[in-house]
Amino acid sequence: MLWAVATLTFFAIRLIPGDPAEAVLGGPGSQASEETLEQVRRDYGLDQPLVAQYLQSLGRLATGDLGSSYALKVPVGELLAAQLGGTILLAVVALALAWLIAIGLSLWSTTGGRVAASVGQGIELTSAALPHFWLATVLIAVFSTQLGWFPPVSTGDLRGLILPVVTLALPLSGFLAQVMRGTLLDTLDSPFILSARARGEGEIGIRLRHALRHAAIPGISLSGWALGYLISGAVVVETIFARPGLGRTLLQAVTLRDVPVVTGVVIVVAVVYILMTVVTDAASRLADPRLRLEETR
Amino acid sequence: MHSALPPRSRRGLAAVGALAAAALVLTGCQATPTPPSDTPTSGGTLTYASGDAEPTCLDPHVGGNYPQALLATQVFDSLVSRNADGEIIPWLATAWEVAEDGLSWEFTLRDDVTFTDGTPFNAEAVVVNMNHLQDPATESSTGYLALGKVSAVEAVSETVARFELTQPDSALLESLAQPWLGIESPAGIARGMEENCESPIGTGPFVIDEWVKQDHVSLVRNDDYVSPPADASHEGAAYLDGIDWRFIPDSASRYAALQSGQVDVIDNAQPDTLAAAEEAGTLTELDAPRPGASNRIELNSGKAPFDDVRVREAFVRAVDINDGIDSLFFGSATRSYSPLSSVEVAAYSDDSLFDVDLDRANELLDEAGWSERDADGYRVKDGERLTLDFPVSTNQSIPAEQSLFEQIQATAKDAGFEVSISLLDLSGWYTALGANEYDIVSAPYTKLGPDVLRILFHSSGITPAPSGYFANHAQVSIPTLDELLTRASEVTDETERDELYADAQRLILEGYYVLPLYDQQNHFLIGPAVSGTRALPTVSTPTFYDAWLTD
Amino acid sequence: MSELEVRTVTATAARRRRRIGIGELLALLFVLFLLAATLVPGLVSTADPNAIDARAAFSTPSTSHWFGTDESGRDVYSRVVAGTGTSLLIGVSATAIGLSLGLVLGVIAGFGGRVLDFTVNRVVEVLFAFPGLLLALLVIVIAGPGPVTATIAVGLSTAPGYARIIRGQLVGIRSSAWVESARVLGHSPTRILRRHILPNALAPLFVLATLGVGQAVVWAAALSYLGLGAQPPAAEWGAMLSAGRTYIGSAWWLTVFPGLMIVLTTIASTVLGRSLATRSREA
Repeated sequence: MLWAVATLTFFAIRLIPGDPAEAVLGGPGSQASEETLEQVRRDYGLDQPLVAQYLQSLGRLATGDLGSSYALKVPVGELLAAQLGGTILLAVVALALAWLIAIGLSLWSTTGGRVAASVGQGIELTSAALPHFWLATVLIAVFSTQLGWFPPVSTGDLRGLILPVVTLALPLSGFLAQVMRGTLLDTLDSPFILSARARGEGEIGIRLRHALRHAAIPGISLSGWALGYLISGAVVVETIFARPGLGRTLLQAVTLRDVPVVTGVVIVVAVVYILMTVVTDAASRLADPRLRLEETR
Repeated sequence: MHSALPPRSRRGLAAVGALAAAALVLTGCQATPTPPSDTPTSGGTLTYASGDAEPTCLDPHVGGNYPQALLATQVFDSLVSRNADGEIIPWLATAWEVAEDGLSWEFTLRDDVTFTDGTPFNAEAVVVNMNHLQDPATESSTGYLALGKVSAVEAVSETVARFELTQPDSALLESLAQPWLGIESPAGIARGMEENCESPIGTGPFVIDEWVKQDHVSLVRNDDYVSPPADASHEGAAYLDGIDWRFIPDSASRYAALQSGQVDVIDNAQPDTLAAAEEAGTLTELDAPRPGASNRIELNSGKAPFDDVRVREAFVRAVDINDGIDSLFFGSATRSYSPLSSVEVAAYSDDSLFDVDLDRANELLDEAGWSERDADGYRVKDGERLTLDFPVSTNQSIPAEQSLFEQIQATAKDAGFEVSISLLDLSGWYTALGANEYDIVSAPYTKLGPDVLRILFHSSGITPAPSGYFANHAQVSIPTLDELLTRASEVTDETERDELYADAQRLILEGYYVLPLYDQQNHFLIGPAVSGTRALPTVSTPTFYDAWLTD
Repeated sequence: MSELEVRTVTATAARRRRRIGIGELLALLFVLFLLAATLVPGLVSTADPNAIDARAAFSTPSTSHWFGTDESGRDVYSRVVAGTGTSLLIGVSATAIGLSLGLVLGVIAGFGGRVLDFTVNRVVEVLFAFPGLLLALLVIVIAGPGPVTATIAVGLSTAPGYARIIRGQLVGIRSSAWVESARVLGHSPTRILRRHILPNALAPLFVLATLGVGQAVVWAAALSYLGLGAQPPAAEWGAMLSAGRTYIGSAWWLTVFPGLMIVLTTIASTVLGRSLATRSREA
């Protein structure tokens, strides 16, 4: 899996026009001489055939070495280790908040009658349609400039985390709630809910104890996707809120054609994603007895 | 104490002409420091928010771009500086003398300066720095180019350094005044590139303490500072305890952070926020146009259709940008009619060449053979549409400028030009230029002094460097112009030099190779707590040496 | 399967038997407007969307400029109308690309047996591990910026998400009681797939797709924010939104109206999509 990701990234980046040797020399437009370029190509092994370069980078990767950044001249592993924490914190808190909002919204919109259903659906659709960059700007305008509640750019503490988290969580929660509510409604029509009703369980209890579990399944399997979505969102959010992190590093690396850093970010994200998949698979099994059944058969 | 009279200080205003004088007065008021509030007090950390890309190396010798210069201004001293009147003034060098043949310069250095790592500053240090800049392994571009005519530097004594030149260089002092040629500790350089990029060591008012990538650089005061430039307002150490140098790429967030008091100074302030700030009245604006070239649109004369001067003039006559500049920049930018920045004393401008005249444009295009129009209203010749490729770098052109280009696109259509704008990131943009796939381009170029004209318009600038880089985007190739620019770069007499540059600029303007827009915009907004900030009149980077915080 | 449901007297059942509601009618009207704006923009717009007038820049909404004017004095309403075609095209084709890729992968994974399921799952995971925006950025730097590239980029980056949802749906339905009983009754696998599994799997997909159109427009807008979307002077909602963001403090109408269009389009398409899905299920 990691091998596939590394391979894909390696060759995809080679398709990008632009000389990697120039990235080493301060990016495009550097007024470097041919000798300097040659020197750099030799130093970084860029003069060797592509296959050799590929095998070399794989070999390094196998030993956990992500190489050295062209632009920043520091080991990629070190660079990303410093950036990883901020992004993970942002993504995890945002994912949790998105789930909370989604559960709340879908419960409310399926219990509160027709008005609640329409309003809930409206909120879901609107928030799912909000672009991060726009939402961030509005939040800053309202909560920082007008009300002065939260700092507009990162401060390193919790107060500075709130606006970026909300920016990431809101559109995602709309999306999750959408998916959840559809399944929730279907589940509420299913026989086992009927029998629960017949046993005299309350509507809220039924939802919390039985229906929600089923409704969460597609949402949980979406969580892997959601993580990718959040990291994409982090590119924009980290830029706007001036937070250090993987997203901003990635954007800078793509602009500078800093191949080792782009590859490094993708591999780190892949690792995080694999861990996430393990967690979500376990969670789906917990939530869906049918899957457990299937496994044992 | 700096008693030596710089040889270039005898600049006669009258000789330069009324226009340059006007430019000078303009500079004078634009670079006005923030209004002094009482007496300076020491202490406090200033937070600076930069919208420029975070440098990949803090050593300004490596590469050499504007974000590096902003930071380097706080950390390094140069050999000389320039004052608000455009005169070269002493800094680490107290005096200098040029030999009769112009091929040898001797700089007398201060003997009381020490780098912040304890290494003494002396002639040997100057030699190490110049060698560092000229060593290909340093990967310097700006500093390397600036020393293009320097063949050797040697230490004559502890306090005298001699520069040997291959040809006379009238721009040498201006080149040395730039922050990209700031003097670094030889011991610091000896640590190797990786470490020196992380924390280069200078003699300046602040010291780099820590660089947290993607976040900030901490600067702390150099308590032993003794070497401010001759035009600074005080002596001794800086007032501030330190500077927290942050990177906030998004302009709206940057302004919001300033409004909320989270940061004290921001750069790259956008035109609409400048207008808003002026209205609010609590923020101070520092307008410091960059030296060197003006912001201009260059017309690629190296290929059809702009190889025909009539088509170039038609384009310039057709596009109407004055109203657009007014509304998009909210009055913060003044229209330019010169290839040079208004801070350059040698700037020559002629607005009569740029009167908008659609009839004249249509006439010229008819004459040039573009007499038919197709169904969409665009002109055609031999079945080919009059299309102009316009690659725009989203990293270099602010939104207001991109909107201005859209307006150019719309007004050029009236004369039958199809302007095809493509928004590109920096790498893609350079690729388009390197492949000669452009007819129109706008590329800023900052360099101290009128010698920038040689870089931008000498025919040798058409041949790309091995890396694909070239600076003569208009692809101007006129032998008489080449001659003028070469001579101007060698003459020692000020008046003669300025006259040669004026002639050169006239040739460029009358050939319709460029459409000047405005000075390279460089606006800073300063919060209410900060006093005493000024822009160094070298490359217009703000210095916080004289700045202090009030509560 | 529906017998039990019909007798379940719940709000849900009532909702499903409703005729055309007000919401659906409004959504229908809005979609008709969008169609008109796409096919005959001249009919609904009030001015030339690209005509600049620097002296009339930043006019507030009024009777002559319903949605105000932008930084170059262009009529925002006419630009919103002119942008409908481009924006919808981006949204619909990106979703189509993503969905069809996702469907192919999802069906293979859901029905192709363990080996295929495993392989496709790994492929999807590899794609998933690429953050969507990175995939889009890569496509754009390789193929150059522009609406077509943005569409393909957005389509590709959404495909793994669809594939995963589809597979999840299929696996769930495959092991459900009614499919089980159909199997016991001896129905052929293709018949089970056609009659029981696909209809059940496709209905939620329909909802996803209608949501996806709005999402795709939003993604394209993010690319515009990074300067890599539609090229000027093309009016496209996402590009308008990101251009107007600069002036959000002084000229709210530059972002609110194109933003509203994106939201309304999403809502309208979802409402219609959902009612269509419901109807098809009842039929």
